[in-house]
Amino acid sequence: MRYIKIPRERIGVLIGHEGETKKTLEERSKVHLTIDSKLGEVQIDDTESTDPLMGLKTENIVQAIGRGFSPEHALKLLDDNAYFLMFDLRDYVGKKETHIKRVKARVIGRKGRTKQILEEMTNSLISVYGHTISVITSVEYIETIRSAIEMVIFGSKHSTVYRFLERKRKEQEFSDFNR
Amino acid sequence: MGRWGIAHVYASFNNVIITITDLTGAETIARSSGGMVTKSAKDEGSPYSAMRVAQRVAEIAKEKGIDSVHIKVRGKGGTGSKSPGPGAQAAIRALVRAGLKVGRIEDATPIPHDGGRRKGGKRGRRV
Repeated sequence: MRYIKIPRERIGVLIGHEGETKKTLEERSKVHLTIDSKLGEVQIDDTESTDPLMGLKTENIVQAIGRGFSPEHALKLLDDNAYFLMFDLRDYVGKKETHIKRVKARVIGRKGRTKQILEEMTNSLISVYGHTISVITSVEYIETIRSAIEMVIFGSKHSTVYRFLERKRKEQEFSDFNR
Repeated sequence: MGRWGIAHVYASFNNVIITITDLTGAETIARSSGGMVTKSAKDEGSPYSAMRVAQRVAEIAKEKGIDSVHIKVRGKGGTGSKSPGPGAQAAIRALVRAGLKVGRIEDATPIPHDGGRRKGGKRGRRV
């Protein structure tokens, strides 16, 4: 049994139109979800599931939906290689509204350019929501995307980050080639 | 036969340590870590070495008569990251594959009740 809390405005997305999303998730993961739509509390009951990892995965999926991902994207976390990362901006810049807004804008970039580049170079999905930045990525890119986003948060020039990603991608290709 | 044990899985970003103990947690039965299965330091926390670590402890534990385990996963915790690192999932999966029956899985990451100061100093980490 696990409990997590997600924002109330995301409860609707988790349940979906006439309970569709919740039903798909329950069918695919074989866990039972109890949702308190007044408080935003979600209870995950994985006692019936045969796969011991399902509880953890479902927790991540619900968390991802709570942090602004669409259900289609969040369900990618059912894959074994997918990994969910979350950055809480309050840990980096404090809780001042203006600071959080500034960092969010840095990650998104003009017309979403930065976010798009980050996503494309590391084959991941990024969601900027409230005071968090969340990422769904695959195992081999965890380190790369983590350091890239931290660089942006800490104030590196965007071009530096792009160069860093470019270099990492070359290294990745090289190590794939050697394998 | 069929003794239970607890598998303590510590998965940070840089390492994976798995200790299998008896149910009291006081007697260690098997133990292994990322550095024991890989050569390069940067791979210690990777999912692949987590898998190897899990296989090793599972083998020793089975030899000593443990065939089912409860799992306690923890990440760095404290002032560090609150969620287990990339090795956790791989380790649990490998424990299952190795033939250990898995009971409950629990998150045992230490969460501060507003404990210490985060590392990095007042002006943050300067790179």
